[in-house]
Amino acid sequence: MSDIEPFSPRGMFHEGWTAEVSDYAIACGWALKGKQFIVGDVAGGIFAFEGDTGKIIWKKENTHSGGLLAMAIHPEGEIFATSGQDGNVQICNCQEGKVIKTLNLGKGWVEHLKWSNDGLFLAIAISKKVYVFNEIGEEKWISEDHPSTVSAITWSNKNELATACYGRVTFFDIVNNKTNQKLEWQGSLVSMELSPDGDIVACGSQDNSVHFWRRSTGMDAEMTGYPGKPSHLSFDDSGKLLATSGSERITVWSFIGNGPEGTMPGELCHHTEPISSLAFSNKGMLVASGSRDGSVVASFLKNDGNGDPVGAAFAGDLVGAISWRPDDCALAAVNAKGVVNVWKFKVRTNLFSKGFK
Amino acid sequence: MSIKDKVPVTILTGFLGSGKTTLLNRILSEEHGKRIAVIENEYGEVGIDQGLVINADEEVFEMSNGCICCTVRGDLIRVLGNLMKRRDKFDYVLVETTGLADPGPVAQTFFMDEEISSEFTLDGIVTLVDAAHIDQQLGRSDESSEQVAFADVLVLNKTDLVSDDALDTLESRLRDMNRMTRIIRAENAKVPIETVLNLSAFDLDQILKRRPTFLEPEYPFEWTGVYDLDPGKYELILEEGPDPEMSLVALVNQGESEEELKDGAESSVRLYAENANTLEPGNTVPYGEHVNLKLENKGNKSFILNIEKPSKIGLFTQHTAEEFNMKVIKSDENKEIPFNTERFWQAEHEHDDEVGSIAIERFGDVDPEKLNTWMGRLLSEKGVDIFRTKGFISYSGNPRRIVFQGVHMLFTAQPDKEWGNEPRRNQLVFIGRNLNEKEMQEGFDKCLI
Repeated sequence: MSDIEPFSPRGMFHEGWTAEVSDYAIACGWALKGKQFIVGDVAGGIFAFEGDTGKIIWKKENTHSGGLLAMAIHPEGEIFATSGQDGNVQICNCQEGKVIKTLNLGKGWVEHLKWSNDGLFLAIAISKKVYVFNEIGEEKWISEDHPSTVSAITWSNKNELATACYGRVTFFDIVNNKTNQKLEWQGSLVSMELSPDGDIVACGSQDNSVHFWRRSTGMDAEMTGYPGKPSHLSFDDSGKLLATSGSERITVWSFIGNGPEGTMPGELCHHTEPISSLAFSNKGMLVASGSRDGSVVASFLKNDGNGDPVGAAFAGDLVGAISWRPDDCALAAVNAKGVVNVWKFKVRTNLFSKGFK
Repeated sequence: MSIKDKVPVTILTGFLGSGKTTLLNRILSEEHGKRIAVIENEYGEVGIDQGLVINADEEVFEMSNGCICCTVRGDLIRVLGNLMKRRDKFDYVLVETTGLADPGPVAQTFFMDEEISSEFTLDGIVTLVDAAHIDQQLGRSDESSEQVAFADVLVLNKTDLVSDDALDTLESRLRDMNRMTRIIRAENAKVPIETVLNLSAFDLDQILKRRPTFLEPEYPFEWTGVYDLDPGKYELILEEGPDPEMSLVALVNQGESEEELKDGAESSVRLYAENANTLEPGNTVPYGEHVNLKLENKGNKSFILNIEKPSKIGLFTQHTAEEFNMKVIKSDENKEIPFNTERFWQAEHEHDDEVGSIAIERFGDVDPEKLNTWMGRLLSEKGVDIFRTKGFISYSGNPRRIVFQGVHMLFTAQPDKEWGNEPRRNQLVFIGRNLNEKEMQEGFDKCLI
């Protein structure tokens, strides 16, 4: 008898906990290996909850005058960084929320923060410039002015940072202060994701398309026909699937074989209003989506990008951000009313009984 | 989300020195009960006094298709995208552009970006004009004529520096370029706040209330006088006037009601389209013909009118009677016969500026499908040159008026109030560069049912 047996996983959002923050929640993430959940609201309030119970551990308000714009938790989960309209970045510890270091980058909005995968560097985008600092807040690198405001940043490997702006993606070797590669495309790039191996660069463009480049071959492709600008992109951990969305529909491109060029993407139509957040689970082909209508859905995908919902819940209002716990056994969503929802997430397959691995 | 829940946005444009910052400060300091967020792009000499002010560098983003109509302002998308999350802090947005900004991408941002258009609505475009300098600026730069063309409200500022005559001339030049704008004269940007905020500028009813003639067609004549004449010989006497010649059509049995005058005007328009016969002084004026009176000679010139049976004669003249002190005299009695009725018409004039407006007004219903096809084609072919489109349409079978508004080739059509007992009609205005009025009117007529 064959080991392979057709079996669709069935998962559910089980009751977890809810909590509230002071304003529109825009950022969230898990710290201390899932023991803590941190939420940032648009007014600059930061709140840390116990990961299992939702009990408040610490909170602070008005961390950035003018408001919070971004938050990034260090991969080790011991520290995190926040940034805002005041031109500041704060590096804080997760245990108590204490500020370890405040970096002032001048006048401007600090809109993007990204820790490198090994946690040694923190990349920061403010207007047309990008800075790299180390964990203790020492400046390591500054870019020249980009042609326009930097719209996305991401690390392609431990020393290489990718930046996106109007008309261009640039790869910088920040240790040797070199420009490794420039990918040009006349269009306003509003989002960027790299495949886990760093080879595929995907950008959502203001003209309602997604543009891909393969760095190894230099080939590029444009996927058009989105009803809105694809602001939300997420690769699965194997780099096989890229989920994209600029409307209430999620379009999933499969990079298996010769795809996605010339192939039909998978389509997921579970929401009634446009997607406001999108994230693959840390492991496996499970994608969670949150919508302006307040719905949160987790879908299990097949290799061709199509798939079925395995669980859904209602978060109450526009979903500002979603985050899988590092073990994928819980999913969190924060909303525009400042409500935090954490659901225990269980997937039942014929092989695994708990988290999806 | 309905229009009422969306945050209104006013765009403030105008050349450097036209008084934008002064107006902005005036708006912010006045008691109007609104909490206004200002997105400012120009670091003027005068700072902004108060309020929620966000500075942004103008970032004009073209799309890969190269279409200027898809060009948007990236900075606005970013800033407004963030403001969306702080709806409790403000209820109005003012966007100030730099002097050299093209208002197109700013306005298009509110149509092109779904996220922005779902939360914000473009309330109006206010353009400040420096009355002392706009004449030269219009000649020198496309931006200034585009700022005039896009305006819902034109604030003619610094009127204290310019004579009344010059202001009148300037106002008529600006009016030619943009027939649907409201022009407000001001010193030191002193204008009532309600004339620049919460315009719902796209409500054509309001524009019509202010300027009932703005959609009236233009005629090749400015004046009509109707004279009640008994049989006999009459002289039409003209003094020296502004022109060495004048076109005229005389109609017999011209009625005096508005409807009859309009019928007469329509017949005259057709006659005016034919070549004119030149009449020297002393010649007899024929009826129902287009003639051109020679008026070069000094002093009074007289032309003959023969009346065989009692009749009402309508004179449709290129200029007004007043300009030549034109009189009708009964020859044998040497007695002036005054006109019974006069009517002034919206005169056609030479449009010196490339930028102008075209109005289409037709009673009846249109076929939505035909209209869509026509508009789609028109905007895709001429979208670059059509800056703005506004109007309302009567779709057959739809109890509501459809309100149109567009920027370049982007347009939205939304159902508005019910027609009720009002006669069904269509009114559309296009503002743009080098537009072909006849072609557009004919195109529209084909969409009528």
